[in-house]
Amino acid sequence: MALNAVNGDAESINGEIEKLEAQLEDARARLKLSQLSTRDEDPTASILKPSPSSSTHFLLLLSDSALPLGSFAFSSGLESYLAHNPRASTFSDFLPSSVSSFASTTLPFVLAAHRDPKSLFELDDQLDAAVICTVGRRASIAQGRALLSVWERSFRSAVPDVPEVQLLRDFSALLRESKGEIPVVSAHLAPLFGTICSMVGLSLHQAAYVFMLSHVKALISAAVRASVFGPFQAQKVLAGERVQNMIELMIDREWNTPVEKAGQSVPVMDLWIGRHELLYSRIFNS
Amino acid sequence: MGSPFPASSSRAGDGRIVVKLSPAGTSSLEAITYQYPLKLISPSPSANQKSVLVFILSYGGGLVGGDSVNLSINIHEKSKLSLVTQGHTKVFKSPSPDIVTSQTLQVRVDDDAALCLLPDPVQPFESSVYVQTQIFKLAPRASICFLDWVTQGRSARGEDWSFIRWTGRNEIWQRGDEAVGKDRLLVRDTVVLSGPDSLLLGRPLKETMHKTGVFGTLLLRGDLMKPVGDFFLNEFAALPRIGARDFRSAEDRAQEEAAQSESERWSSHRIHKEKEEGVLWSAANVRGCVIVKFGAKTVEAGRNWIGSMLIREGSIAHHFGSEALMCVQ
Repeated sequence: MALNAVNGDAESINGEIEKLEAQLEDARARLKLSQLSTRDEDPTASILKPSPSSSTHFLLLLSDSALPLGSFAFSSGLESYLAHNPRASTFSDFLPSSVSSFASTTLPFVLAAHRDPKSLFELDDQLDAAVICTVGRRASIAQGRALLSVWERSFRSAVPDVPEVQLLRDFSALLRESKGEIPVVSAHLAPLFGTICSMVGLSLHQAAYVFMLSHVKALISAAVRASVFGPFQAQKVLAGERVQNMIELMIDREWNTPVEKAGQSVPVMDLWIGRHELLYSRIFNS
Repeated sequence: MGSPFPASSSRAGDGRIVVKLSPAGTSSLEAITYQYPLKLISPSPSANQKSVLVFILSYGGGLVGGDSVNLSINIHEKSKLSLVTQGHTKVFKSPSPDIVTSQTLQVRVDDDAALCLLPDPVQPFESSVYVQTQIFKLAPRASICFLDWVTQGRSARGEDWSFIRWTGRNEIWQRGDEAVGKDRLLVRDTVVLSGPDSLLLGRPLKETMHKTGVFGTLLLRGDLMKPVGDFFLNEFAALPRIGARDFRSAEDRAQEEAAQSESERWSSHRIHKEKEEGVLWSAANVRGCVIVKFGAKTVEAGRNWIGSMLIREGSIAHHFGSEALMCVQ
């Protein structure tokens, strides 16, 4: 018995170490919180989580199309779809496919990161392994890094010093060191979005909704610039019940999907996005 | 006299294959066991075989609703295994949506060992529910080539992505060494197709599949597969630009075509066929693995395409023997 315990397989010992480390981290975070909350004389320190009005404020900021993520540069396969189906393409066909595909591949990562911001590193790595096309990876990383910059340069100073602030600091430090074929972290959009939403006080559902709506808005804006329809039609689609239902349906569908089971629900989307590089003329990066 | 067939393991649908290098220097089977409804057959080895060949079969030619097959494979250092099937893996309808038919494949490949898995496509029938999980744990110098493809069903009977659900998950892990101990996920490729989910968004699944009759993924990793991966990446990069116009005169074109090398001629012939048969594909390098995705209007078009690419490049036949390619030609 004793011998067994000594030799015990490396995996279980590793597991134990990880658990203990997680406990330590948790305890440190709690210590920090309690230290902060005992400083009663400092009026700003007592606000640990953003107040409801501040969370509405951030909800509006994060859903604003002026948020500098560079989303306007990406069409998420729309441009390629139009080029592949020159005669038979309609936006009303593409929209549900794109929304479904985007939700099934990325929404579980937003939800997981919001529920447990500490898992950001792990989620980022897992998403990096799951994005199987160059163009899609580029789009996700470009927007993720932009969001991280927005956090560092603009949001951080306005958010109370919750433990996750240090987490994001560590994340971007690691990102600067990451290179090579298999980087430790890549800064994909979805997990960072979930983490930051939770830090600025958005609810889980709000985070998911803003994430999905931003995708639809970016698509529709791309459609306007690709001359699919005009700006009034664009607002009509956005305001319509169909888009609202679609987003709610997707949030429902992915609410309990573990990230290990997130996957592509519209396989041709991978082909269109992957083949974007083959277009003779391009106005978008994806 | 003992039974000429390998002994069976105990749980229904379980199977196990162990391959190692024989003292003579060829790959050989150390163990092969299976249990109904799974069946494994390996033709008797020949002296100069490049890899061990194993057929994955199922009794009755398919998986009945609720069947569960679990195959685990160990490929020891320096040995090679080729896995093939005999005809489509049919997935019959499930009596109810919560009865799931499943196949699980767990593969461990050691250093300098290799696996080639080029099966026939999975053919899910109307009202079937299927989950497939394939997990590959590779040593740093291991190589694999595997194809995972699914068809629209029995097109002759009007089936067109008419199943309830089809889920396929492929994971490639790099095994941690003794010092680090932790396995690292390299690639996770998951496809989740659901008829009812698609209808919720107002469109039947077949519409979102956009007239493809077969959809496939080829995954490549390791030193042995590097030339194959590069071949796909180069051919992809050399595809003609979509929406480009050919401003050459007929004369110039004829002249240029006459001056083409043999491989250029082969490429342009293949590209012409891709267009004709509705083959769309893309290739990408993801964390040291090459992933090729393709869709085609018909199963035969898809088979011809992937087969012609792999045969043309030549590494598969060279390293595993031409039998490894029997399902893609």
